[in-house]
Amino acid sequence: MSAALTIDPATLVDGLDDLPSLPAVVMELLGSIDEDDLDISLLARKVAADGALTAKTLRLANSSAFGLQVKATTIAQAMTYLGFQATRNLIMSAAMTGCFPSGRCRSFDDRAFWRLSIASAACARVLARHLHFNQDVAFTAGLLHGIGRLVLATRFPEAYELVLRERKRLDAGLIEVEQAMLGLDHVDAGVALAGHWQFSDTLRQAIACQRTPETPGAGFLATIVHVAAAVAHALDLAGDADEMVPPVSSVAWTALGLSEEAWLHVFRETELQYEEMSAILMT
Amino acid sequence: MSTDHDLVHVSRLRPGMVLSDELIDSNGLVMLARGAVLGEATIASLRRHHIDMVPVARVEAHVPPDAEAVRARLDYLFRKHVPDDDNDWAGGLLRRYVEDYRMERGVAP
Repeated sequence: MSAALTIDPATLVDGLDDLPSLPAVVMELLGSIDEDDLDISLLARKVAADGALTAKTLRLANSSAFGLQVKATTIAQAMTYLGFQATRNLIMSAAMTGCFPSGRCRSFDDRAFWRLSIASAACARVLARHLHFNQDVAFTAGLLHGIGRLVLATRFPEAYELVLRERKRLDAGLIEVEQAMLGLDHVDAGVALAGHWQFSDTLRQAIACQRTPETPGAGFLATIVHVAAAVAHALDLAGDADEMVPPVSSVAWTALGLSEEAWLHVFRETELQYEEMSAILMT
Repeated sequence: MSTDHDLVHVSRLRPGMVLSDELIDSNGLVMLARGAVLGEATIASLRRHHIDMVPVARVEAHVPPDAEAVRARLDYLFRKHVPDDDNDWAGGLLRRYVEDYRMERGVAP
């Protein structure tokens, strides 16, 4: 493995300016995930100015996962019916899934990437419901936990191409190959992006600790995301022939404390929500 | 609405059939909701209302899971998992539960 590929962590952060930028309103929403005193009607008007984003958000809001009796036809209505936080997370999901260019890195299957992300998000949301944790925050964290892979594929397409080929050749874990060849991994890249895009601290912490949820202070969200991602791999929802289930932290698994019966329900609900969400987010 | 249904004459309706669309009477009111399971009384009532054809959901033949294919795929997905490793028991449990789920053992959906 060549050392010439090594990415200097500083360039990782600098280079993020080359990454696609999110609509200004989405940046505003991201930074505000922990706040509750925002001018909601102003935000609703700003989002409504983006037609494509509005359409996608409303399709999500009207999907059966949210069980609305009356269809929401405007962002303001969605906020009234679903609440501000749920709508905010839907807007972010709709914006994120469309904002990275595809095809820069040949071995990077961005459709499979998003399928896995949406499956993880669906599972995180279902787990959160079972555990009385904030479902919307869990969904967003599940959706974004692997975003560092997109950063590496977009920012360093040639180097990442070699990483992906090497991973396939060795049939090894992605993180290990990234570490060995680049000197950093997609969790580092995700954390850098989280800083750059001003994700909330909760979200950033969950991304940082997704592989090590047993770290003291990692937070419960990291536990949910860690297990949700493993479930998404195990349910084979990415449609990736080379799919591999990563190690599952026994500490995280135990912390969720679910019975087998509960798990079978979680699998079923995850698959149902995944199907509906991916049909909307991947158009 | 849905395309996976059959139009069934009221004389051929059987209890347990599922309505694939809502039934609307001549006043535009919903008589029966989509997804309603038809019972003896409902079928009699449809006859009284002189309803002719009823859209009934087509039941797909249930294909039992292929145990060997399920296990082979799970073996591959969990190929880095070491069954006897005490530090990796959570992975083993996840695998077992997913297998039970795929094989439709345990709790019904």
